[in-house]
Amino acid sequence: MNLNRLLLEGWSANPWVLGGCSVFTLLFARAFGTRARWRWLIAALAVVVLALLSPLAALADGVLFSAHMTQHILLLLIAPGLLLLALPRAFTLRVAHPLARRLPLLGWAAGIGAMWFWHAPALCNAAAVSGPVRALQTLSLLALGTLFWWPILAPAERDRLLPGHGVAYLFTACLGCSALGMILTLTPVEICSVYQAPLAASQPWADFRGLFSAQHDRQIGGLLMWIPMCSVYVAAIMLELSRWHGAPAAAEELSS
Amino acid sequence: MNHAAAAPAGSLGPELSGEAVRAHWRLAWLSTVDHKRIGILYLLFAFLFFVIGGLEALFIRLQLAVPNNTLVGPDTFNALFTMHGTTMIFLVAMPALFGLANYFVPLMIGARDMAFPRLNALSVWLIPLGAALLHFSIFTGMPKVGWFAYAPLSETPYNPELGVEYWILALIVLGIGSVATAVNLIATVLCLRAPGMTLRRVPLFVWINFVNSFIVVFALPVLNAGLVMLLLDRQFGTSFFLDREGGSAVLWQHIFWAFGHPEVYILALPAFAIVSEVVPVFSRKPIFGYEFVALSSVAIALLSFAVWAHHMFTIGLGRAADTFFVIASMLIAIPTGVKVLNWTATMFRGRIRLTVAMKYAIAFVIQFTLGGLSGVTHASAALDWQTKNSYYLVAHFHYVAVGGVVFAVLAGLEYWFPKISGRMLSERLGNWTFWLMTVGFNATFGIQHVLGFVGMPRRVYTYPDFTHWGWMNLVSTVGACLMAAAGLVLAYNLLRSLRRGTSAGDNPWQGWTLEWATSSPPPAHNFVALPPLRSRRPLWDSAHPEQPDPPVGPSGPLLIPDRGKTSVWTLIASEAAFFGTLLFAFIYLNLSPHSGREAAFSLDLKMTGIFSLFLFSSSFTLWRAEAAEARGHRAGTLGWLGLTIGLGVVFLAGQAMEYVLLYREGAVLQSKLFWSSFYLVTGFHGFHVFAGLIALLIVFGLIAGGRFAGRRSPLVAIGLYWHFVDIVWVFVLATVYFLPRFL
Repeated sequence: MNLNRLLLEGWSANPWVLGGCSVFTLLFARAFGTRARWRWLIAALAVVVLALLSPLAALADGVLFSAHMTQHILLLLIAPGLLLLALPRAFTLRVAHPLARRLPLLGWAAGIGAMWFWHAPALCNAAAVSGPVRALQTLSLLALGTLFWWPILAPAERDRLLPGHGVAYLFTACLGCSALGMILTLTPVEICSVYQAPLAASQPWADFRGLFSAQHDRQIGGLLMWIPMCSVYVAAIMLELSRWHGAPAAAEELSS
Repeated sequence: MNHAAAAPAGSLGPELSGEAVRAHWRLAWLSTVDHKRIGILYLLFAFLFFVIGGLEALFIRLQLAVPNNTLVGPDTFNALFTMHGTTMIFLVAMPALFGLANYFVPLMIGARDMAFPRLNALSVWLIPLGAALLHFSIFTGMPKVGWFAYAPLSETPYNPELGVEYWILALIVLGIGSVATAVNLIATVLCLRAPGMTLRRVPLFVWINFVNSFIVVFALPVLNAGLVMLLLDRQFGTSFFLDREGGSAVLWQHIFWAFGHPEVYILALPAFAIVSEVVPVFSRKPIFGYEFVALSSVAIALLSFAVWAHHMFTIGLGRAADTFFVIASMLIAIPTGVKVLNWTATMFRGRIRLTVAMKYAIAFVIQFTLGGLSGVTHASAALDWQTKNSYYLVAHFHYVAVGGVVFAVLAGLEYWFPKISGRMLSERLGNWTFWLMTVGFNATFGIQHVLGFVGMPRRVYTYPDFTHWGWMNLVSTVGACLMAAAGLVLAYNLLRSLRRGTSAGDNPWQGWTLEWATSSPPPAHNFVALPPLRSRRPLWDSAHPEQPDPPVGPSGPLLIPDRGKTSVWTLIASEAAFFGTLLFAFIYLNLSPHSGREAAFSLDLKMTGIFSLFLFSSSFTLWRAEAAEARGHRAGTLGWLGLTIGLGVVFLAGQAMEYVLLYREGAVLQSKLFWSSFYLVTGFHGFHVFAGLIALLIVFGLIAGGRFAGRRSPLVAIGLYWHFVDIVWVFVLATVYFLPRFL
């Protein structure tokens, strides 16, 4: 178990990920040019790279459940949020307005549903062993995460929820993922048996299993879903309320 | 519409005199629905139980004054600290804070009363009911289990006397009352603000109490869920928290602290609210960083739900869990520290007037900071293992609860008593109280930090004559006696002022918020006219038209949500917390190795599915009833509504049939943990369906009787609740009927 070696050699150069990121960046540049807020886009790409190509991804590949959960949170919660922040200020979509204000439940269900759906035991295991399923999981996490954040972080104010509704949206989302996190932390339930199964001899980082006992590994996964994830939602709630207090022309009421 | 201008004149005018006034006086306090009188009732109950809880504390301290003392025996001592803790939290701190909120939130937003005055009266009268239940245990053997009643100590084998039952019932009653108060406060703040009183302009006292009400709504039902489970254990032979059959005492701790930690903030936030009003007025400066105080309150409220496990570092949650909760608990210090900075920055370079109220506020800031800092030391698991259940812990939470909460309430009392009574309190006597209280408090609890570090455990009824223990305990007891003396001077000051205090006038402190814009005491209708509201300090603007505060936000018509729907949504939130806890308990108890897998297979899914369809279709028929009402079709409304009620009855009948069949097969409440938790979850759901049916029947009767001719009935608001119980059933089906088969 050599941490230095992992940090140096644990990187991979998955052509699909690199190609996807490059194509996406080109498309983004073509569509928005200098109007895009590039710093946020670079941050979003960095998070994607961290989640999919870094040593973290190497450990998430069947070795540690907690690494898998970190990857999951980065892809579902962090990268899509940063991506929305990278959009130009006035950007809007024709379908987006009714989507956010009339059907906030859709975005909410996308965000929370993604968390629960991909942790059904069969799917969690399948995603850990099968390449295509993993690719589908990655893409769906990014897409559903974007859908989730749209009513909160959409660039145009009219696409966003009213502050009071936004707070309720985020608070209930926090409860939704906490519930799963609590179950994983406090009960002995096993949802991803892959992370317990013996590893193939070809897996170069297998000895990192020894970092935590199986029970601790699962607990850390649950706790990640519970405490840090909720901290992100709480931070977003603070953002909602400070926007409400800050902008003189902002929606005067929390809700209507 | 301006509530104040449209309100009728006060009912108790000067033309009533003599016998009529006395008769009115006698009855009025029993039947009152006026938020001001109810607020005073809250404060009176709080004062009464402060005396009782204080005497209990005094006996505790007298017993511990010297080593090997024999004033009270061990059993009495256990009963004393149990009653002291329960009384001080549920019968003193919460009523006092709710009382001030009740009195001043409507006044500060320019409202005529609370949103639901009769519900308000119910809430306040539930306090004496709960108190009577708790103190009835004097006749049956008092509870001796501590205020958190850890299982299995609180279970029948270890505490067979009925005192614990009365303790449970009292807390359930008080919890329901608190949720009702919170629902009422939320609806009041959202729906009854005067024109111009936007949510960004409300005084911090209002905003923080508003935020706090959400904690109450979510936290108290969690406790009530745990309490009914404990009651089932004790009275019906289940074993949720007993080791036999795979029950879990740790589950009780999770449930209790999932309520208990937010409860700390339920007490602390309103204290912050009071101090955030008192400090600016006596510093002659607007609060520094209103937005930071407002937002940090929300952050505290949210974080308070995520850190309960720091009360459980010593039960062995594991290193992973400990680490996360250490960090999360320390995070709470940030928003709290922000507030301390705001208060001190408000005082900085202000023209401070050292009134008694301001002295209490300053002492609050210092003592609360000390209590907060010792709290951060407890957040470190390694240190917590050493100091847990020592007097260091006792010192910590008394610095928060007394040095913080009680001092803030006293600051509020000194500040607002002139408004409530129309008379000033004596500053001279107030200073005596303040110094007796401050010296007494710090003597009592300051030294307990040291006692804890030298190893004195809490909850021991006596101790051997170790070096230094004796004199330190004596100092602590002397301090407690000083606090008792402070209480006597305070009581004398209040009574003296009521009889012959100088008249206060409308605004003795030159306050800026709306409660000072009316007479002292305010008339029954609160306001004759309101000043224009453009900023957070309307009275400053009126007094200084040449340099008013910059207006906050645009002034337009307020968007006021529907009162009925607001309250039902809030109720639904609290019910969701209740069912969430029950479902979590079900999962916790059944996903263990002793899973109820086999038992789950003996459930008849086909039958349940059919009856579930009846329940789900009732949501559809109710929606049609609402649509028919919107079109003005009374017959259609009644028809669809009747069908809804019928479908609900069929569902309940189906559930009853299921119960009968299961009981015949021997699947009784006590037979297995799976069945205990099955009946717990489905039973409470059935009970809520039943309650929803009653509500729908009442609406049906009223509509049929033509009560709402031409107006919209509360059908939509009540309907929300019905849809909610249907949605809960989806979760119950998934968790209770399906999940155990797959895991």
